Amino acid sequence: MQTSLDIQYIFELFPYLLKYLSVTMGMAIWGFVLALIFSVTIAIIRVFKITVLAQLCALFISFFRGTPLLVQLFLLYYGLPRFFPIFEGLDAFTAAVIGLSLHFSAYMAESIRAAIMGVDKSQMEACLSIGMTRSQAMRRIILPQASRVATPSLMNYFIDMIKSTSLAFTLGVTEIMAVSQMEAASSFKFFESFLAVAFIYWAVVVFFTRIQYLLERYLNRAY
Amino acid sequence: MKKTFKLFIATCLAFSTLMTVPAFAKETVKVGMSGRYFPFTFSQRGVLQGFEVDVWKEIGKRGDYNVEFVTANFSGLFGMLEAGHIDTIANQITITPARIEKFAFTLPYVVDGAQIVVKKGRDDIQSIHDLKGKKVAVNLGSNFEDILRAIYPENELTIITYDSGFEQDVVLGRTDAFVMDRVSSVQMIKKSGLPLQLAGQPFEKIENAMPFLNIPKQVKLRDQVNQILLSMRKDGVLVKISEKWFGADITQ
Repeated sequence: MQTSLDIQYIFELFPYLLKYLSVTMGMAIWGFVLALIFSVTIAIIRVFKITVLAQLCALFISFFRGTPLLVQLFLLYYGLPRFFPIFEGLDAFTAAVIGLSLHFSAYMAESIRAAIMGVDKSQMEACLSIGMTRSQAMRRIILPQASRVATPSLMNYFIDMIKSTSLAFTLGVTEIMAVSQMEAASSFKFFESFLAVAFIYWAVVVFFTRIQYLLERYLNRAY
Repeated sequence: MKKTFKLFIATCLAFSTLMTVPAFAKETVKVGMSGRYFPFTFSQRGVLQGFEVDVWKEIGKRGDYNVEFVTANFSGLFGMLEAGHIDTIANQITITPARIEKFAFTLPYVVDGAQIVVKKGRDDIQSIHDLKGKKVAVNLGSNFEDILRAIYPENELTIITYDSGFEQDVVLGRTDAFVMDRVSSVQMIKKSGLPLQLAGQPFEKIENAMPFLNIPKQVKLRDQVNQILLSMRKDGVLVKISEKWFGADITQ
């Protein structure tokens, strides 16, 4: 049994892992930006209860919350090209970004909807009473307040998304998790490799937690 | 911090554009592999290498292809092949009746046997028949599960499929044995220094080849690869690559 921990190996591994951090973060950041756009749209449609669209969004949320991310990635990357040959050209990185954004937008839409509903109803009424349209009120008054409420839970999803990018290796995207596993395959130092990659994820999350703190302070400046 | 973040975003952007620039000129052949299968395909100090990598570098040189290696989880490789994201798989893929129905295989380039591996010092398992009632590990998506099921049609043993790391579980005693091909079992035990040993003789001959999609364009490519494999056999380069990684000829 290997009991000793090869600390030197962990440090040797860092440069190789860090080289692929941009892939992991690229997926997470692109995925999150897209997810934010999707989820805000879905949340507003659901809050305004726009006919047909609201029902479609409910179905969307039901599916993407109701099935595992890995299954969705498989369907997207391996399933779609069967029926639509155009998707054969879809590269794995893009497929992973789309898959992550669809999956997480379903969760985030509910968080954002909750945040919007958390803004007191009287605010919308006040806006309407001074002649704003509903969409003006939403943009100028309701969303800025809702964004403050939604920030902590959205950051939660972002952090979750960073770690979920490790599933992309199943599609052939070489990111930090893939590199750590491939290195472990030759060195058989699984524990050390996973420890190294765990440290990197952790450091990245600590970095973004700091960003979250600054962002929250900014959003709370009026309170 | 703001600056670092900007730089960071810029790097990400640069990277994602890089990823979409296609390579022109030569015909590109995308070869899928797990990168986690020592010594066939693995990464060391950031360099992808191994038997399969060397074989394909040689094929690329002779056929004037631009060989692009795509590493993905083993469980994802066949899906990528079917969806046309890769042209073939080089990961010691065993020819099975079910696979031959679906894919166009090249000529076999590795001949091997299925091997039981147990923790060092264990002598109650000597053959396939001793696995009755035991917990046996196999790789997810590999054909060893099918082989075991064919021998034990009534589920008289528990098969556990792993994505990686089953050798550790056998060492820890969580599973009784694992079944893998003989060649990589020997290599793995030698390289890892884990207290494992081969149990008995290999119990089934397996032939490895590279699968292509069964469509005219890919079959044509397969035929070209076959010609190259034949020429590599003829002038001994295939054996040379085998000896480099295994210290033995595993190609016949």
